[in-house]
Amino acid sequence: MTFTQVVINSIVRASELALLSLGLTIVYDILRFANFAHTEFAVVGVYVALFLNLTLGLPIVPAAVIASIATGLFSIAVDRAIFKKMRSTSGIIVMVTSLGLAIALRNTIRAIYGATAQNYSVPLQKPIMTEFFRITPLQIWIIATGAAAMVLFHLLLHHTKLGKAMRAASDDPDLAQASGIATEKIITYVWFIAITFASLGGILIGMETYILPYMGFAIIVPVFCATIMGGIGNPYGAMLGALVLGFAENFGLYINFGKILSLGGLLGQNKGLFIPTGYKPAISFVILIVVLLIRPRGILGKKKEG
Amino acid sequence: MGLINFLVYLAIMMGIYGILSLSLNLQYGFTGLANFGQVAFFCLGAYASTILVLVFHMPFIVGLFGGMAVAALFGFVIAIPTADLKEDYWAIVTLAAAEIVRIFFLNEDWVAGPDPYIGGAFGIGGIPQPLRSLFSPHTYPFFYLALVLVCLFATYIIINTLTASPFGRVIKSIREGDNLPQALGKDVKRFRLKVMALGGGFGGVAGCLWAHFHGFVSPEQFMPLETFIVWAMVIVGGKANNKGAIFGAVVIVIFYNCTRFLKDYIPIEEVTLASLRMVAIGILIVVAMLFMKEGLVKEKRIKESIVLKKACSE
Repeated sequence: MTFTQVVINSIVRASELALLSLGLTIVYDILRFANFAHTEFAVVGVYVALFLNLTLGLPIVPAAVIASIATGLFSIAVDRAIFKKMRSTSGIIVMVTSLGLAIALRNTIRAIYGATAQNYSVPLQKPIMTEFFRITPLQIWIIATGAAAMVLFHLLLHHTKLGKAMRAASDDPDLAQASGIATEKIITYVWFIAITFASLGGILIGMETYILPYMGFAIIVPVFCATIMGGIGNPYGAMLGALVLGFAENFGLYINFGKILSLGGLLGQNKGLFIPTGYKPAISFVILIVVLLIRPRGILGKKKEG
Repeated sequence: MGLINFLVYLAIMMGIYGILSLSLNLQYGFTGLANFGQVAFFCLGAYASTILVLVFHMPFIVGLFGGMAVAALFGFVIAIPTADLKEDYWAIVTLAAAEIVRIFFLNEDWVAGPDPYIGGAFGIGGIPQPLRSLFSPHTYPFFYLALVLVCLFATYIIINTLTASPFGRVIKSIREGDNLPQALGKDVKRFRLKVMALGGGFGGVAGCLWAHFHGFVSPEQFMPLETFIVWAMVIVGGKANNKGAIFGAVVIVIFYNCTRFLKDYIPIEEVTLASLRMVAIGILIVVAMLFMKEGLVKEKRIKESIVLKKACSE
């Protein structure tokens, strides 16, 4: 694999992770709890899209859009049924509740669709080949969707009334409410944006690889890691965290650590020493630990403790 | 005989999960540490004991304490980066750490000896059962049940004594926030490390008992869902109450095992049933958190009036 190829793979991965970690971080920012059901909501979107795509025969693009919006609405319903009753409860209780919800969602999907890997019906696409890399049209789509979502979110946060209200509610919920901002309304929008983006991210991952009920659990650690790395509750931090993690995951497997350890052949023989692919999930974990040890509030973390 | 065997099996499971539940209750119920990776201790205890007994030909008792030590050490180490942080970080770090432990045993088959078909995804079989030769196949489960109950009882006594001691009062105050214990000059970080090591050690004991009972360990026995089952036990049973933790284990083990027979009555596939069982566990956690935060057995809180009376009479 060439260097350019690894860079491209990293950007693709970062785009997917950014869509997911952005939602996790804004929910944390407004509701003050780590939502362990976040990636499971994304998987709900993945399977709704699968249903629309395979069973109803919809092309993948409208299927993905409808599924993401439907999952966003579903998350609002779940919030009304469960989390709304816990607004004043401590974060740890709500977090454990979200874990229960995650288990229920994941296994409901497994009960319906079984544990075998599935794929969307997508027309075969010819990858673009150059001397240094190959990129599929899908991967270009992933990068474009990720970038567009980030720009859209930035515009929303800084150029709309809703964004202003969201920032106010994040800084001080009580003051925001006292100033006449309808916090509950903002919460509804936040869930919708967070889960629609997450679901879109999940569907893109599903298109690039395959669809499994367990895919939500497989990405929960990278998504949390990206979120925490950027400073939990900070949307721009989540984007930066996703970018760093995308590169770390791909370069972690690409770099020959033997070369580094032997200082490029100065110390003894330069043996190939790579991280075994089986340990790919460990990369985000190790980064998470390092971040927590050095800079627990993340690279762009807020000063105050939430 | 079949029924009795099944009941003994159930009781052994209750004992093993009771220890896990007590251990998580010490961490979450009393100290407020959201450990989403309880299965890591279970796994480490099982593997450490298996390797000590099978590869190094040590007696069972060495395996038991070895498994306990390895799991306790892991609990201590994993608590270091998070000891100063909020519970959100605890949850994700422990969850990820448990997956790393599983991935380690999945990839590193050399830990089980040189045979390429032992360890890794193949698992390790032929784990000897302690004092097996002294009993007949019929009476052995009863002996093992006694062994498990002794371990459960010991765990209960130790954790109960600890939580009723000044140590218990400090960790309960940590659960309510760092400010009070810090104002009283308590080193919050050290208490959290101690609790994780202690809880980890007991989790290791449960793992060891599990491994020697089944005679076989493999990475797929230690999926994250084991952690969630133990969480359901603590939440349903009642957090910060040791009797509640054991009661929760009894309830969930009965629920989990008895739903297996459902497939004899309704036409349903084993895999679907397994998923539905976990759906029920998830819903149970959500419902318990919403409607009965204290669980079935409530925490014994020290009443203000008693403290005041005592203070006034002194």
